[in-house]
Amino acid sequence: MALDLGMPILVVDDYQTMVRIIRNLLKQLGFEEVDDASDGTAALARLKNRKYGLVISDWNMEPMTGYELLRHVRADENLRTTPFIMVTAESKTENVIAAKKAGVNNYIVKPFNAATLKSKIEAVCGA
Amino acid sequence: MGLAVKARSATPAPEKPSLIRELVDIADYISHVRNEIAALRANELTRDRLPMAHEELDSVVQATNAATNSIMNAAEEILCLPDDRNYRAGVEARMNDIFEACTFQDITGQRIRKVVDALRQLETRLSRFATAVKARDEAGIDPAEMERRMRDELLILNGPQLKGPATPQDAIDALFD
Repeated sequence: MALDLGMPILVVDDYQTMVRIIRNLLKQLGFEEVDDASDGTAALARLKNRKYGLVISDWNMEPMTGYELLRHVRADENLRTTPFIMVTAESKTENVIAAKKAGVNNYIVKPFNAATLKSKIEAVCGA
Repeated sequence: MGLAVKARSATPAPEKPSLIRELVDIADYISHVRNEIAALRANELTRDRLPMAHEELDSVVQATNAATNSIMNAAEEILCLPDDRNYRAGVEARMNDIFEACTFQDITGQRIRKVVDALRQLETRLSRFATAVKARDEAGIDPAEMERRMRDELLILNGPQLKGPATPQDAIDALFD
């Protein structure tokens, strides 16, 4: 199944440069509808106002981390099926396993490249 | 009576020299601690060195932000260049902007070295002071530190690893296959 390039994507990261990098990579992949939020709380507010085809989130943010955001999303009846990719420098196995248990669809360790991001989006949204 | 006087002078009070010795020891110790406190140069640290370290690190953050923005701007402009005969010149101009932005590293490197030197000096002085006064840390953990640790543990905040990712991407991918 081909990727839906028109689907809105929410990028959640407190580091504006990373948001910009992911935005540019997504643009190169053909995605134009990209919103961003600087932490889990701001992301939840956005998720309640718009239906997103994918959430790409960092882990370590304040006040609400990406891990907490993931658990909120999976606990919310209206959001629980939203594809969720964690993009983070948290690379310990315990983090990956905790995120997987919480329902993350894929996990990318920073630093990453465009090919990795593309393959994970395809795996999560294109299958 | 004469006997009594004789008996008193024949029995020397043993506490007196010992007490004097103790007082002398305490005075020596206080003097030693005062010297060590002076060697700590706490006023110089709080007035000059630590504010300098703050300022230098703030400058580093600002310089890296500015450089990153310049590089990102140039890269985004390259992506938007029209594919015409001016394309190469346009790319070269932006590449020069990128080279120029990368010069931040020389200056930030020097700034960071100053901060590292200041921290090393602080560490040396504190370590010397702790040894001199035989300082022992208060039992238990600082409440603020305890709170931070509990949050980190609860939210599994390990932070980036020093020598690259703890789990390579391939191993993570295997968990999702």
